[in-house]
Amino acid sequence: MDQPNAIIHQPVRLKIMAALKPLPQSEKLEFVRLKAIVGATEGNLGAHIATLEEAGYVVVEKDFFANRPRTRVALTRPGRRAFEDYVADLREIIGTSGA
Amino acid sequence: MPMTTNEAAETLRDITRTERRSASAYGYGEASPHLILWGLVWAVGYTFAWLRPQWNWTWLALAVLGSLGSFWIGARARAGKRAGYDWRFGATFAAVFLFIAALFAVMPPHTNNQAGAFFPILVALGYALVGIWARGWRMTLLGAAVAALTLFGFFALPAQFAPWMAVVGGGGLILGGFWLRSV
Repeated sequence: MDQPNAIIHQPVRLKIMAALKPLPQSEKLEFVRLKAIVGATEGNLGAHIATLEEAGYVVVEKDFFANRPRTRVALTRPGRRAFEDYVADLREIIGTSGA
Repeated sequence: MPMTTNEAAETLRDITRTERRSASAYGYGEASPHLILWGLVWAVGYTFAWLRPQWNWTWLALAVLGSLGSFWIGARARAGKRAGYDWRFGATFAAVFLFIAALFAVMPPHTNNQAGAFFPILVALGYALVGIWARGWRMTLLGAAVAALTLFGFFALPAQFAPWMAVVGGGGLILGGFWLRSV
C-alpha cells in the first residue's frame, strides 16, 4: 500500500479531522473549542485549517454570535470520506481491516 | 518511506483519543444550557418550597416551563440541521414520567423532603449513566456531586433542606452547566 493520504497524515491536520469526525454531518465546531481539543497555537491551527479547506475537506464559516466574531469549522462529505479511507488504510497496515 | 505497523497503531490510538475528546466536548456543549435552565428551575422551585410550602402547584408549573424550555433549547440547537425530531426523546420523557407515577403509586413520599430529595437523586443517576456510557467523566462527577449534596442536605439539614437545595442544588447545576461549557 502507498503512503496514507499526505494531507491528512500531518499530525495537526489529523487531529483536526479526528475532532470533526464524531460530530453529526454538517455540524460545525468553534475554532476556540477546536484549538483546545487539538492543542495547537492559533496561527498553526489556522494554517492547517486553510490547507484542509483548500483540499475541500473542511468548510470554514465566519459570522457574529452575541456581538462577537465567531469562526466555525465543519467536515465536508469528501473530507469525511477521505478521513474514513485514511483510517481504513491504517487498519489495513496493522491488519485489522476485516472489522 | 512506508508507514510501519507501530506507527499506524499509534496514529489510530491518537485518532481514537481525539475523537473521544471531541465527542465529549460536543456532548457537554449540548447539555450545558439544559443544566443551567434546570438549575434555575430548582433554585426557584426550592425557594418556593421553603418560603411558600403550601404552594405545591409551583413545582408542576416549573416542571412544565422547564420541559418546554428544554424542548426549545433542543429545537434551537437542531435548527438548520438535517436531523429531524428523534421520537426517542419524547419516548424517554414519557417512560420516566410513567416510572415516577408508578413508583409514587406504590411508594408515595410521606414528607416534602422525601419528594424534594427523590427528583435530584433521579437526575443525578441520569447524569452518572450518561457520563458512564458517553465517556463524559464530568457528567458522572456532576451526578455524584448532586446525589451527595442532596443526601447530605436530606440527612444532616432536614429543617433547612429546601433552602439548601435551592442554593446548592440549583446553584450547583448552574455552575455545572458553565463548567461543561468551559471544555
